[in-house]
Amino acid sequence: MSGIKSTITKLSLVVVAMYAFSYALVPIYDTFCEITGLNGKTNDVAYTDNDINKEDRFVKVKFISNVANSAPLYFEPSVTEMTVQVGKPYNTHYVMKNNSSRQLHTTASPSVTPGKYAEYFKKIECFCFNQQTINSGEVKDLGVQFIVDNDLPDNIGDIVLSYTMFDITNNISESNKL
Amino acid sequence: MSTNIDHIKEEHHQPSGIMRWITTTNHKDIGSLYLWFSLLMFFIGGFMALIIRAELFQPGLQFVVPGFFNQMTTMHALIMIFGALMPAFVGLANWQLPMMIGAPDMALPRLNNWSFWILPFAFTMLISTLFFESGGPAAGWTLYPPLSLQGGNSMPFVIFSLHLLGASSILGAINVIATILNMRAPGMTLMKMPIFVWTWLITAFLLIAAMPVLAGAITMLLTDRFYGTSFFTAAGGGDPVLFQHIFWFFGHPEVYILILPAFGIVSTIIPAFSRKKLFGYDSMVYATASIALLSFIVWAHHMFTVGMPLAGEIFFMFTTMLIAVPTGVKVFNWIATMWRGSMTFETPMLFSLAFIVLFTIGGFSGLMLAITPADFQYHDTYFVVAHFHYVLVPGAIFAVIAAVYYWLPKWTGKMYNETLGKIHFWMTTIFVNITFFPMHFVGLAGMPRRIPDYAVQFTDFNMIASVGAFGFGLSQLLFVYILFLTLKQPVTAADKSWEGAEGLEWTLPSPAPYHSFDKPPKID
Repeated sequence: MSGIKSTITKLSLVVVAMYAFSYALVPIYDTFCEITGLNGKTNDVAYTDNDINKEDRFVKVKFISNVANSAPLYFEPSVTEMTVQVGKPYNTHYVMKNNSSRQLHTTASPSVTPGKYAEYFKKIECFCFNQQTINSGEVKDLGVQFIVDNDLPDNIGDIVLSYTMFDITNNISESNKL
Repeated sequence: MSTNIDHIKEEHHQPSGIMRWITTTNHKDIGSLYLWFSLLMFFIGGFMALIIRAELFQPGLQFVVPGFFNQMTTMHALIMIFGALMPAFVGLANWQLPMMIGAPDMALPRLNNWSFWILPFAFTMLISTLFFESGGPAAGWTLYPPLSLQGGNSMPFVIFSLHLLGASSILGAINVIATILNMRAPGMTLMKMPIFVWTWLITAFLLIAAMPVLAGAITMLLTDRFYGTSFFTAAGGGDPVLFQHIFWFFGHPEVYILILPAFGIVSTIIPAFSRKKLFGYDSMVYATASIALLSFIVWAHHMFTVGMPLAGEIFFMFTTMLIAVPTGVKVFNWIATMWRGSMTFETPMLFSLAFIVLFTIGGFSGLMLAITPADFQYHDTYFVVAHFHYVLVPGAIFAVIAAVYYWLPKWTGKMYNETLGKIHFWMTTIFVNITFFPMHFVGLAGMPRRIPDYAVQFTDFNMIASVGAFGFGLSQLLFVYILFLTLKQPVTAADKSWEGAEGLEWTLPSPAPYHSFDKPPKID
């Protein structure tokens, strides 16, 4: 009988360990994506290094936008395309309008395509670092300051920056209730 | 080997009627409960499949609304995987493992009772969601967010019932491992165990490693939906693709959980009717173990199109193709076992032979899907549906049916009607191909899976598939009729019901006594 007991103990430990492992997969996956730039994950804290290189290399940056779950928002880039010099900071902005009759809280999630080169696209300032509060009918300009890294490989011509805007009003009011 | 049953105990101090089944701790009773339950679920899941096929008989919407159609595809998969196949294999393990290794019962009889009786409650809860106002789960059995997070009120019920099913499987697996590792008859070393015992031992380890990961993934879904976490919601910085990684880390081992015991069954039946020993026993064991190990590093081949880097696609492509090697070893060994054997073709053998041919077809379409660039065309088409139905229906289900025919005389002491069995086999085999073979063609031509309506050029093949599906369903009613006829007979079967059958279970009387080996048999 002691053999059976020790088998059960060991196996139960494996079960617990595998359950814990499923949660461990979350940070493992995140770290993995950050290191490799998979999924177009860009930096989510401001980039501060400002070493401008005077190289004559230009790339086209295209801007696109999405609104998640048909939230009552107008959300578009002010310009859809810029030709930028690598190593030089640029400013642009997105325009958001609240089409609903109540105040909304929003947050944007960025993504860069091709994902492999997301690490070369640095955001110095971005509305995606914060959440937004927007009143009914209000129009807001949401600024982005970015720099394309000098080390960008030569074979890249276009970079696409995409934002998906989420309405998180309900999540916020729920967490306030708790 | 010596038989040692001079005192067949009469039924003692047992509650009668329904209480016998509710309180039983006997491995044979629990095995029967599992098998009957699995048969019931097989018909419920099959009925849902027929609703799907009826709707797909013609393009356009005839019988059901798209939302209900999606609920049917989701529930059909959940019920067939967790309700029909897994309990069938656990039922076979319960009946056979103690008899095969010369043990009196399973190691943990009360736990055994509990792991069965969780199932009816879990499935009652799962199926009850179909009667909700917002309907049952409709996001597919893989429960991918964000869609599954946006579903109706069924979601927490589905997740809780999956938790229960997972708990039941884990308990069952612990029981199987504890039994096999500690209760073998003296002299039965690991490498002398019957091959079915080996495959179940490895399957049990897969269950223990994979099911907790599923539990984790669905718990994260639950907290995302109700407790404000953001594992998978992009608004809070989560990532829906993360779910696919965690899910398939469970999901791919799960695929082998559904097929390894089937390999064990076929490896038992083929030698019996070829009247030869299993060719390459050792390599069979190693092949099974390597398939199990490989199953943990191939998960992302289910998600080639999510936008992985080239290195990832290549890694998962090659590891997936590597699985064909141990699987090929198995198919080779089965054929080599039959080589120059004096073969006869009783129903269990027929189902096993069909298993080898049709499972291999499913294996080949799996190899096609493993090739990343090709998968971009096949992904989420009916080709995938054809592939996994070939490995699960004429694969896993044929093995279960073969096992039932093979061991039925041992379980009941009664022989089934061979002619009817053969008719059942031929109808099943012909209709299964009529059902699933045309799906390869519509899939390659671009018909997406999980849709209630389709472009008119797919009509002919879909009509053929639907006719096949109804034929297949009717053939299984014949199976129930055969079982019914068998049970009504008097006890006549010999202790060793098949001339070439090997193993300790055939040293016991037929029907097998309520308590098998009170004294362990001797193994030479």
